[in-house]
Amino acid sequence: MIKLFSLKQQKKDGESGPERGKKSSAAQLRIQKDINELNLPKTCQVEFADPDDLLNFKLIICPDEGFYRNGRFVFSFKVFQGYPHDPPKVKCETRVYHPNIDLDGNVCLNILREDWKPVLAINSIIYGLQYLFLEPNPEDPLNKEAAEVLQSNRRLFEQNVNKSMRGGHVGSVYFDRCLK
Amino acid sequence: MKVKIKSNWTAVASWRWIANDENCGICRMPFDGCCPDCKLPGDDCPLVWGQCSHCFHIHCIVKWLNSQQVHQLCPMCRQEWKFKE
Repeated sequence: MIKLFSLKQQKKDGESGPERGKKSSAAQLRIQKDINELNLPKTCQVEFADPDDLLNFKLIICPDEGFYRNGRFVFSFKVFQGYPHDPPKVKCETRVYHPNIDLDGNVCLNILREDWKPVLAINSIIYGLQYLFLEPNPEDPLNKEAAEVLQSNRRLFEQNVNKSMRGGHVGSVYFDRCLK
Repeated sequence: MKVKIKSNWTAVASWRWIANDENCGICRMPFDGCCPDCKLPGDDCPLVWGQCSHCFHIHCIVKWLNSQQVHQLCPMCRQEWKFKE
């Protein structure tokens, strides 16, 4: 019974604030829990442009090992009303030379598409993205050129990554500097 | 001994679902609460179990199963979802 009352209280608390009187949607309730329970690795941080809008935010990953060490990569997260039944839309806003991220910022990560399930949370996606930087996967590429180089010549791939992060051309593609 | 109740009285009872977890894995609301689409916990927002032993609010799991086109899998363990009788 006590628990029930505290639940009611929580609901009330959730309702007050910017949307007074309006019931929070299922997606908002769930994302609130996801954000409260975020357990970020030290290489990741989350930024809310509007602290009252938990459905849109940015994730910044600064890998401390691997090919992308010392880079700084920004991802935008858009959570829709279908959450957690539908995965959030995640895009990479930093142009990056990476087999699993194309030049428009689309990200190829299984749990963002076919393998999404509603018991996963924002934290699972963050760990997935961090893993992409530690272990780029040439088997399932969005940037086929980068994938081919990674498969055929790891040295050259490493050089290309470094060149792109320092800012400059890799082949005909220009990359902005993204070293932190 | 005879007991006489003098004035108005109110009975209070408590209940809870017996599940192997505190919260529904889909909506993350407590099982003793209800799914986010319902107002009151209780028989109108019951829990269901799959044969894989995982448990969810019925509304949450049905919504998920309906969104699955090919296979209906438990969102926890990805085994085929079959309701436990």
